[in-house]
Amino acid sequence: MEIKVQCYGPTRRYTGAEFVTLTLHEPATVADALARLGERGDEFAQLLRQCAVAVGDELVRRTRPLQTGDELALLPPVAGG
Amino acid sequence: MSPADFPRIQSAPLSLDALIADGRDDCGALTIFAGTVRNHHDQRPVEYLVYTAHAPLADKMIREIEREVAARHRATVCRVVHRIGRLGIGESAILAVVRAPHRAEAFAALRAVVDAVKHRVPIWKEEFYSDGSSAFVTGCCIAEADDAGAASAPRHAHEHDHDHDHDHAH
Repeated sequence: MEIKVQCYGPTRRYTGAEFVTLTLHEPATVADALARLGERGDEFAQLLRQCAVAVGDELVRRTRPLQTGDELALLPPVAGG
Repeated sequence: MSPADFPRIQSAPLSLDALIADGRDDCGALTIFAGTVRNHHDQRPVEYLVYTAHAPLADKMIREIEREVAARHRATVCRVVHRIGRLGIGESAILAVVRAPHRAEAFAALRAVVDAVKHRVPIWKEEFYSDGSSAFVTGCCIAEADDAGAASAPRHAHEHDHDHDHDHAH
C-alpha cells in the first residue's frame, strides 16, 4: 500500500521534502511507516522516536493500522512561544 | 468576528486589541502575556525566526488548552493566539489573555496557558543567525507517554509549571 507522510519542523531536513510517499507491505501500522523512514539514518531514527504522529487533526498511536491513501503528519518535539 | 472565534494560528501580525475587544463586567482582572522575538540565543545573534505549525491540530489543541486551564483556574476568559511565518526581532510570536474575577486566578491561568501551549502544541521555531546558518530550537516530545516506541520522557518533565528557561523566544 502507498501512504503519504507530511514532514514538519526539523524532520524535513532528513527527508529533503515536505511530502514523502512510502510503499509498505500490508498489513502495516504507523510504527511500520516510522521504521521505514528510520532506514534513512540513525540520527533521523532517533528523532523519529521522539515524534508524535497525526492523521487529520487527531494524534494517533504507533499501533494504529494504516490504509492505502492515509496521510500521516510527522510531528517532532515542539517549541512554540 | 468575536475574539472567541479567532483562528489561534495566524500568519498576520497579532493584534492585542482584537483579543480583548469584548469586555467582561463580571471580571476584575485582565492579565496579558506577549512573547516577543529576542535578538540572541545561547550567545549567538539572531536575525529573525520562522515559526511553522500543523495548523489544524494546533488550533484545536490551543482551544482545548484554553478550556482546560480556564476550568482548572476558574478563569472566565482564556485565549491564546500564535503567529507563524517569518518574524523579525521584537515582533510578538504569542499573545495570551485571561480575564477572571480576581487577579490571583488571572495570573495563575495566564502562566499555565502559556506554558501548556509552548509544551504541547505542534509549533516549531527555526532561528536564523547573522552568519547565514539556522537551527530548529529543541523542544518537547508530544507523543503519548504510553505510545510504544516513542521517547516521551521530555514531556513528563514539563507537565508542571516551572521557571527554567529552555530556549524560549522571549
